[in-house]
Amino acid sequence: MANQLEIKNLYASIEGGEPILKGVNLVVPKGQVHAIMGPNGAGKSTLGKIIAGDPSYTIEKGEILVDGENILEMEPDERARKGLFLAFQYPVEVPGVTNANFLRLALQAKKGGEVGVMEFYNKLQKALEVLEWDESILTRYLNDGFSGGEKKRNEILQLMVLEPTYAIMDETDSGLDIDALKVVAKGVNAMRGPDFGALVITHYQRLLNYIVPDVVHVMVDGRIVTSGGPELALKLEAEGYEWVKELVVAGS
Amino acid sequence: MELTSTLSRDLVLEVSKNLGEPTWLLEQRLAAWETFAKLPYPTTRTEEWKYTDITEVPFEGLALEQPAGAPLRSREELPEAVQARIAQADLAGFAVFVGPDLVYAELPEELTRQGVVLTSLHQALRSHPEQVQAALFKAVNWSDLVGTQQNRPDNSKLPALNAALFTHGVFLYVPRGVEFSKPLGVFKYLEGGKLSAGRTLVVSGANSQAVYIEEYVSPAQVPASVNLSATEIVLDSGAKVRHAHVQTLGEGFYHFHRQRAHLGRDAALNDLVVNMGATISRADVQSQMLGAGSYSEMLGLYFTAGNQHVDHYTLQHHVADHAYSDVLYKGAAKDQSRTVYAGLIKLEPGAQKTDAYQTNRNLLLSPDARADSVPQLEIGANDVKCSHGSSTAPVDATQLFYLMSRGLPRHVGQQILVKAHLADVLRRIPLEALRAHIEGIIEEKVKL
Repeated sequence: MANQLEIKNLYASIEGGEPILKGVNLVVPKGQVHAIMGPNGAGKSTLGKIIAGDPSYTIEKGEILVDGENILEMEPDERARKGLFLAFQYPVEVPGVTNANFLRLALQAKKGGEVGVMEFYNKLQKALEVLEWDESILTRYLNDGFSGGEKKRNEILQLMVLEPTYAIMDETDSGLDIDALKVVAKGVNAMRGPDFGALVITHYQRLLNYIVPDVVHVMVDGRIVTSGGPELALKLEAEGYEWVKELVVAGS
Repeated sequence: MELTSTLSRDLVLEVSKNLGEPTWLLEQRLAAWETFAKLPYPTTRTEEWKYTDITEVPFEGLALEQPAGAPLRSREELPEAVQARIAQADLAGFAVFVGPDLVYAELPEELTRQGVVLTSLHQALRSHPEQVQAALFKAVNWSDLVGTQQNRPDNSKLPALNAALFTHGVFLYVPRGVEFSKPLGVFKYLEGGKLSAGRTLVVSGANSQAVYIEEYVSPAQVPASVNLSATEIVLDSGAKVRHAHVQTLGEGFYHFHRQRAHLGRDAALNDLVVNMGATISRADVQSQMLGAGSYSEMLGLYFTAGNQHVDHYTLQHHVADHAYSDVLYKGAAKDQSRTVYAGLIKLEPGAQKTDAYQTNRNLLLSPDARADSVPQLEIGANDVKCSHGSSTAPVDATQLFYLMSRGLPRHVGQQILVKAHLADVLRRIPLEALRAHIEGIIEEKVKL
């Protein structure tokens, strides 16, 4: 189907190791924000990385369709150009390339051609304003020496400049204080609209107070075990994950 | 089958005669020739050449490139590759050699007025005979090996060949107290197919300050060619010299460079060696801290591709006390290419209160690339701070994935990571135009 990110019966393992995803089925339509919650080790982050094309995983079975096109054979850069974006849980430090140069290179790669200086800076200005951030961040090397919070904020800056169709936010809330969390959420909310879908991976309900999801999925042991509205996140927060684990036992 | 050598004692006599040299210089050449003739070529059994096999290099199978006495040219007539570099290099003045011939020079009048000289060595033999005679062969010659090199006299073979048969040279003279911070540059354009041998002599007077860049340029592909270069840098007390040796010779070149700086009291050298070109290249870069409080920063950058082989040797020889030296050599290798680094920190008994550091880091872009690294210490003093370290690692898969996940093609991601790897060396080059040039070479090379 066009206009959605679809994961069909996906099985995957870490290269030469244990299976991690054991039949994931999930649809994120354009225009919606979905959350995936679940206990540690459920495979949430793995799913995010596999969608983006992390080469350290082996896909055993299944499909990932972006607007109806299977992307599993594509290199990570090609997937990005198809409109995918992964906000990393642990963004990587790359000294030697400035934030501004990197963003410009990435935007050019995505658009397949030169990007005008004015157009580029207008985009940057807008994003920096939303993120309540100073321009000085642009001349610093990519994530080099950034604090944990700065790194996460930088992921959102990239998101806003690159304007993907589908974004996966991998534990973007982890390690953030409440003010930083609000700023990050503001960035993601600014992207919301009919042409943008997001999959927000989180361990805690806290983030979902600020990025209110349309649908919440619960992942346990490599599978989506239940889905519901935003109230599901509140229930998980109040009652923990024990009851969903029991669902798995009952279902298997 | 014994091949006839293109080299002989008669050739030494001929070269010296054609250049109209004084007797003392001919005598030195002949002494160097005796040493050359006597010594075997270094082999992989020579510790310092363990990873670099030069048996295929036709040292004695090529004609020696001799001066054609070419008239001075206009700037427009210079080789295009050199013109392009001049346009980008942001230099205060420069000289251009095509082969052994000095064909063009531009030096700002302000420097000339203060007595700064940038010219050919043979012109300097006429205009500044005492200064040349006092310094030539003092730092780089056919004996006087230091540290582990002493155990193997064959380490002198190629410096001896250079001394016996060099056909041209650069002379840079900075009088006492004269300072300039915008670089002077020399471009050496080699057409290839010959044995080229040249020398550079930098003499910087007390409390002077100079910046000097030497670049080796050739067509991208040449028939088998050998280039032997020797650079001597003499720093009087309090002199500050920033020096860069930038080699971007074409495929087919075998490039062998020996360099030694003599640092007087409180003298400071900021040295940079960039080896990007040639089929096999070896740079042997030495600093001798002869004066107390002297300072030597020695940076190296290299990036090899295809079947290239690059070899670096550094020596930090601390003779005097309270001196500082810091070697940082970083490189990357792709395809089947190989890099070698060996370095020695040697502290004489009088070298108390020395700070000496040595670091070599290598990045491998392909599973077939290889880097060998041998850092060494020889400490004869007890009140010192010394450290050395080396590492070799492949491209970080997570970093590459991160960059590609933003839409950057693999080669652009690798290019960024090579630059990231080399960043701490690049950052220490305050000459922006030179840094941009090196970054440009890296970018081109990643795409190959």
